[in-house]
Amino acid sequence: MPAESHSSLDELRVLELCGGVAGAYCGKLFADYGAKVIKVEPPGGDPLRRQGPFPAAGGPQREAGAPWLYLGTNKRSITLDISQATGRRLMRRLVEDANVIVEGFSPGYLDSLGLGFEALKSIKRPIVLVSITPYGQGGPKADWRATNLTSFASGGQMSLTGEPDREPLVNGGYQAEYQAGLQAFAAAAVAAHQADATEVPQHVDISGQECMASALELYLPWWAYLKRDISKRRGNVMSGMVGVFPAADGHIGLHIMPRNWPWFARAMGREELIEDPRFRDNYSRLQHNDELEAIVYAWAAGKTAKEVYRQAGAARAPIGFVHTLGDLLESEQLRAREYFREVEHPMAGRLTYPGAPFRMSNVEWRAGRAPLLGEHNREVYCDELGLSARELSRLRAAGVV
Amino acid sequence: MFRLALHGVRVLDLTMAWAGPYATRLLADMGAEVIKVEAVNNWDLIRSFTGQRPTVERVWDKSPYFNHLNRNKYGCVLDLSNPKGRELFLRLVAISDVVIENFRAEVMENLGLIYDVLAEANPEIIAVSMPGHGKSGPERDFIAYGTNVEQLSGLCHLTGYAGGPPQKTGISYGDPMGGIAAAAAVAMALWDRRRTGRGQYIEIAQRENLINVIGEQVVGYAMTGREPARRGNRHSSMAPHGCYPCQGDDQWLTISCEDDAQFTTLCTAMGRPELAADVRFADVVSRYRNQDALDKLISGWTREREKEAAAEALQAAGVAASPVQSVPEVFADAQLRARGFYESVSHSLAGVWEVEGPHWRMSESPGHVRLPAPAFGEHNGYVLGELLGLSGEEIMALEAEGVTGTVPNWSVHE
Repeated sequence: MPAESHSSLDELRVLELCGGVAGAYCGKLFADYGAKVIKVEPPGGDPLRRQGPFPAAGGPQREAGAPWLYLGTNKRSITLDISQATGRRLMRRLVEDANVIVEGFSPGYLDSLGLGFEALKSIKRPIVLVSITPYGQGGPKADWRATNLTSFASGGQMSLTGEPDREPLVNGGYQAEYQAGLQAFAAAAVAAHQADATEVPQHVDISGQECMASALELYLPWWAYLKRDISKRRGNVMSGMVGVFPAADGHIGLHIMPRNWPWFARAMGREELIEDPRFRDNYSRLQHNDELEAIVYAWAAGKTAKEVYRQAGAARAPIGFVHTLGDLLESEQLRAREYFREVEHPMAGRLTYPGAPFRMSNVEWRAGRAPLLGEHNREVYCDELGLSARELSRLRAAGVV
Repeated sequence: MFRLALHGVRVLDLTMAWAGPYATRLLADMGAEVIKVEAVNNWDLIRSFTGQRPTVERVWDKSPYFNHLNRNKYGCVLDLSNPKGRELFLRLVAISDVVIENFRAEVMENLGLIYDVLAEANPEIIAVSMPGHGKSGPERDFIAYGTNVEQLSGLCHLTGYAGGPPQKTGISYGDPMGGIAAAAAVAMALWDRRRTGRGQYIEIAQRENLINVIGEQVVGYAMTGREPARRGNRHSSMAPHGCYPCQGDDQWLTISCEDDAQFTTLCTAMGRPELAADVRFADVVSRYRNQDALDKLISGWTREREKEAAAEALQAAGVAASPVQSVPEVFADAQLRARGFYESVSHSLAGVWEVEGPHWRMSESPGHVRLPAPAFGEHNGYVLGELLGLSGEEIMALEAEGVTGTVPNWSVHE
């Protein structure tokens, strides 16, 4: 259910036909920055609606799962069965009004329905079709099944995550999906600008695997250029300068680059280490890493994580503390910046949601809520496409909506 | 074929390390003319990650990591802290579309280059800042690199083995995510500028951007008041869902079953069809409760197999599975190779090697690696001479003063 928009993006119309986190995140970002996004759900609802957590009272219900509530914000929901001929006819009419279509079907499915890129661009010439799949539109693995876990493994990031003596580890939440969704959003925004400026249509093929493979930090270039594989996962502690260490009551994280060394020594209250020959330059610090790690472990263990964070911040050393979800909601910084927003939803009530991922001076971000299943059927089919109430009932009876 | 999507968009790139250069690489891949601006005493520290002896000639131009992140860009050396350098920079702003930086929060203020100053030089300029904590608030002057950002965003808290501590993820995760967001914001600002004729200021607090990719966990916490327990590779509503050992040293296969039918298929593929009817595993709730026993059975099957062959067998049957691919395996991956993911790049000093091409696959205007990463100061002549109209003598005089140059002061990042 979109909040009022004060953004020139309200001229951008997006159709989202995806079941999952990646496409939904792409659509959410468009919607939150003011685009008019219609979530086209199968009559049974987006599978994302079945994901918990759900409110304690009432158990699983399709309107109030946290992933759906979060990823559905500011969208309108219509239901449509595009596997039926009538559904496809309606889809073509929706396309006439759209700039961007985001889809996550198996490669070739839309083509098989007569709704592939060639067909869509003959309906609306400068259309941007964004396809988000785990492996892309072609290639020997294009039809491979995937979940967030298996995608994370295929893109290489999982091999880098976890302790060396245990199994590799997937990141928390749905990171393979969010990466693909965020990449798709940025690519779609670029293509939409191009279509707007030069009337060029575009089929944007986003492969989750390629998105992850493009973000392998220095490990891939090291291999590609030097043929040196330094990618073995190393757990929480890379060195006495980079890693996650236990504090008295939680965990802190260091990311000390060479020029941050004096600040780090000061943050530990150990000014004398700055010129200590064992630690004076980066090479020496790595040679004496065991001694440095011992100093860091002992220092961190004697302090609370928040105490370390405050001292390090004042000393300008790049040290964070591992925020729990509770810590996020209590963060003075995030409060001062009014990052979190309260959103009211008819089934889930008033809850705290993340705010804008970035702030633009002329494109307003808005807080809104997720729509109920098919909430905007009448508005879209009758008010906008001009169907009569009778026709809508007939479609309903036929299971098209 | 049409011209590249961002043809004609000029970007002044002050960014360093990963987040910012990843953003501008995305823009450059799509055809923007990205000019990376460094200074003799303030150059991209990634140039110091060389993997080679410091005595190698112009080793700062041979960093695999720098050259990987900065392909398709031009490079110019200009000291913004020098009044002449600053004035030349503002002349570049006047003929550019985007300025992007990921300095500490106060650096642009100290340089006298806040948005109002840039907009005075060019009212249509789009300016992007990417500080870790944002430009306001009590922690704005704190410093955060990529791994700090994931600690500050809750991602680290959510990652980890069951019963274990929070876990650092494999990469500086906040960096690429901040970079993608910046590229998206630039595209939206270009859309907006076509309608309003105005530029704008964009602020990406990287820790805020990263909270958005665990957003459902935040809403879930607001709903239930419960911190989610770390659970390794397991999932709240799928079982099996794990990472299983295969033949060989440190070889692993991920498998997940989304429903009962896929589990039945898995059992058949493993040659154990009777397991699908076992009361311990008959439905997802039972499988979830008996996961330790189930994982042991699956591990027994995977251990006897090579990970790629096992994945292919399971995929042929319709079960989601993938080997955990090491970086060299990603580099050799048949799927990525078949799609032409890797392209050859040739650098006048660093030689020839392969790098991934643009991963935003645009059907009508596909991007490619058009240019290698710039050597330090490689395009001083183009930027200061051709774009700003300085003579050769003027450029040499600036070089003598250290305002521009072609050799970085190596001791800055030693």
